[in-house]
Amino acid sequence: MLNPQVKAVKSVEYFLLASAVVLCVVGTVLNDSFFLRLASEALIFGGLAMSVDLLLGIVGLLSLGQALYFGFGAYLSALILKEIAPSFALAIVLVALASALVGFLISFIALRSKGVYFALITFGLAQVAAKVVYNTRSLGASDGMMGVPVLQIWTPFGLIDSAQPGVFFIITLLVIGSLYAAAKYFLTTPMGSLWYAIRSNEGRLAYVGYESKWPKQFAFVLAAIVASVSGALYPMLRGFVSPELMFFNVSGNAVVTVVLGGVGTLIGPIFGSVLLTSFKSIIGTWTQHHHIVIGLIFVVIVVSAPKGLTGLLAKYYSKRQENNGEEQ
Amino acid sequence: MKEVSNCILRAINLNKRFGGLSAVDNVSFGIDALGVTSIIGPNGAGKSTLFNLLSGSFLPDSGSVFINNQDISRLNPEARLAAGMARSFQITNLFFDLSVIENLQIASQALEPTSRLYLPSSRSELAIQRAEDLLREFELVGSRHLLAGSLSHGEQRRLEIAVTLATKPSLLLLDEPTQGMSQADTQETADLIMRLGANITVLLIEHDVDLVMNLSKKVIVMAQGCKLAEGAPDAVRSNPVVQAAYFGEEAI
Repeated sequence: MLNPQVKAVKSVEYFLLASAVVLCVVGTVLNDSFFLRLASEALIFGGLAMSVDLLLGIVGLLSLGQALYFGFGAYLSALILKEIAPSFALAIVLVALASALVGFLISFIALRSKGVYFALITFGLAQVAAKVVYNTRSLGASDGMMGVPVLQIWTPFGLIDSAQPGVFFIITLLVIGSLYAAAKYFLTTPMGSLWYAIRSNEGRLAYVGYESKWPKQFAFVLAAIVASVSGALYPMLRGFVSPELMFFNVSGNAVVTVVLGGVGTLIGPIFGSVLLTSFKSIIGTWTQHHHIVIGLIFVVIVVSAPKGLTGLLAKYYSKRQENNGEEQ
Repeated sequence: MKEVSNCILRAINLNKRFGGLSAVDNVSFGIDALGVTSIIGPNGAGKSTLFNLLSGSFLPDSGSVFINNQDISRLNPEARLAAGMARSFQITNLFFDLSVIENLQIASQALEPTSRLYLPSSRSELAIQRAEDLLREFELVGSRHLLAGSLSHGEQRRLEIAVTLATKPSLLLLDEPTQGMSQADTQETADLIMRLGANITVLLIEHDVDLVMNLSKKVIVMAQGCKLAEGAPDAVRSNPVVQAAYFGEEAI
């Protein structure tokens, strides 16, 4: 019998995939652009939340500054598209490589600390980076950068235009899906086991033959890449970047998204992002104070489902299995 | 220190101070390969600190530790494990929110080359085999998928030893493995330690003097940070200094 947690993750995966297919078909038939673009945005911020979950839910490190990498990816992507060449592949590959380097360098500072100090250092580093970008005229300072060109993306079916919302949604889905698959792959390796071991009891690891430093660094770099590549999609969707992308709002929202969707599940954060983005959009049409409503929803969910919505589903499956066991 | 000896483990003039307290005071000893050697002593004698110095949890203020004539005094615990030394903990120290089999697989993983870290775990056949063997040997098959934190105390103590053995150490340091166990479990663990001693070298800290006297080929007695005596169980038992310091009035 399948483990309830695994089953819950699978259900959420199928649900998201099915929703994406339905949205794609219906959106294309109805010639919609609003919902397709909203869904792309949800996936992009879902990627950011997934990078938070990789550190928080798997390795046990709370980063309050993942927006640093998200913003870095967004700005670098905008710069490449504007200044070098409007090439999708070039932007994604360069952002992935550059963010790996940046993540690796920052890991030496951030991973010197643990627990609440790690949270504060990541928060502080992101604030510093945001202020630097905010005050750098060549990066557009407080205005950010506008006029990111529309891309011609190469596919086996010929060149297509990234401005078509349906097309860009599928591309976003593929990129975020690949990041999810990559992160999930590492969970099935001994490296992934070491991450769980660090979360569980870091001190014991040395006595089974491993230093915790490299596994933590590896996870930190992977999370930086996931956040940055997600961020790289942002200017392609919106045509601009602004320093707000690096602000604490973005990092904090990502943590909220993870808690809502289910810590330690990787797919939960994407689900959470889809929900939050939908709520914001729907409630935003009724009232300007949608943050209050979303805050209330968050409180209710944290109180009633401390392991997030994916955790709630797992609990339901586990109850059902128990009941079935009793009947047999 | 170039002198060569046959001892698998040698401690030379180990010292460790905590503030004004000399927790380990100039302790030297050697252990030959195979069999069980025990360290006994009243609470606060410095047994656990000595263990921490041997296993690399603390670095000594002065003195050295050799394993097979290799100086490991400054190595970290990971490197000492690679040199063949593994230790267990007096206070159960497991990956509590992971399952029994996950605990064993993580502990066995160091048997594999480092490159396997990035391949699917199913490819780490050595580690999987080792984990399965230990699961059977320590009678934890029924608890396979239970979280280590949800096991009974006795099972947790068994898992603690199993995890420590996972990397096939040639020298095993056991810190009060029977602590808090029932009489029956204690006897079972004693038999297990006896069996282990046939193939590897075991260094044991233990409170239960009778258990120690039956198991050990050699006993080291500590008191107030110093080594008081060392020798065969019978010789130690009849040593008047030991009787006064450890066994007190009611000499055996």
